[in-house]
Amino acid sequence: MSPLLVAVIALITYGSRAAALAILPRPSGRLELVLGRMPAPIFASLATLTLITEEGALTGGPILVASLGALLVSPKRSLAVSLVGARSSPFLRAPP
Amino acid sequence: MTAMTFTGSARVIRSILITSLPAAGAIAVFGTLYGAGAQPLLGTPMTIASSLFIFSGALQFALVGLLSAGAGAPALLLTAGTLNLRHLVIGAVLRPRIGGSRLRRAGFAFTLLDETFGFAVSAPEEAGADRTLFVSGVACYLAWQVGTVIGVLGAGFSGVERLADAIFPVLFIGLASLAATTGTLVVRALAAVVLTAAVALLLPDIRALAPVIAGALVALPGPSEEAPSSGEDQT
Repeated sequence: MSPLLVAVIALITYGSRAAALAILPRPSGRLELVLGRMPAPIFASLATLTLITEEGALTGGPILVASLGALLVSPKRSLAVSLVGARSSPFLRAPP
Repeated sequence: MTAMTFTGSARVIRSILITSLPAAGAIAVFGTLYGAGAQPLLGTPMTIASSLFIFSGALQFALVGLLSAGAGAPALLLTAGTLNLRHLVIGAVLRPRIGGSRLRRAGFAFTLLDETFGFAVSAPEEAGADRTLFVSGVACYLAWQVGTVIGVLGAGFSGVERLADAIFPVLFIGLASLAATTGTLVVRALAAVVLTAAVALLLPDIRALAPVIAGALVALPGPSEEAPSSGEDQT
């Protein structure tokens, strides 16, 4: 990969980050309402993706157990408690 | 008064750093995997330069995969464009929470990742979304650079790769629980889980876009909904 290609890809990446945050106008009205609803579904979706491999299989059991632990304590609505819940997995208590 | 403000700021920044630490640690581990995997293909200078300037784990891993399969520049650029589309959506979600001049927001944009987006939208009022985005972004950026260099040097965090694998689902579940402030948002999040699983299984080529596709679809207003009149149902 040439330096020019790295630079172009870096520009594309930064441009995509800056476009909505700094260039495009602030969304308003109904669009803002829709955007305001999106974080929870996006995070739930990202969590789901991390549990499914690119081959379409579920990830390993210990990771599923850790995720289940985090899910069980999710009503507490705390990142710290999520991590504690995930430690219910024996895998996380004693990493190999 | 100034000393009190400084103490308060330091406390807030420390709190943001503590919250970001597990993600930054996992990012460092993935950085070592990236550094070790990319170095034979890109060489040491380009591997380090890619992390310094691109700073996107998903994209950089995809580029290495494509390069190892013999892909050319058009495929790499297309992949970069496609994978970065999600930034338009998460940036738009974050935009109302980030104030200040265009230049200031452009500066913050460099630190926009899935993880820092999560920290920023769920940041307490005292911390502020912009400060959280910046502080957690710097922590993740440094972790990615350190990890890359360690990987390039042929070292690594032996035995913790699988632990790092577990951090991200746990992190995103925790962030989802923070963002799901109402019952309807919980239902929308569960619908997004189903949609994402369907995309990942049935359309694996676009799985990287599944979060924004699912997030947008489940957030759409129902036919009976009027234009917004209050902050209800928002995070």
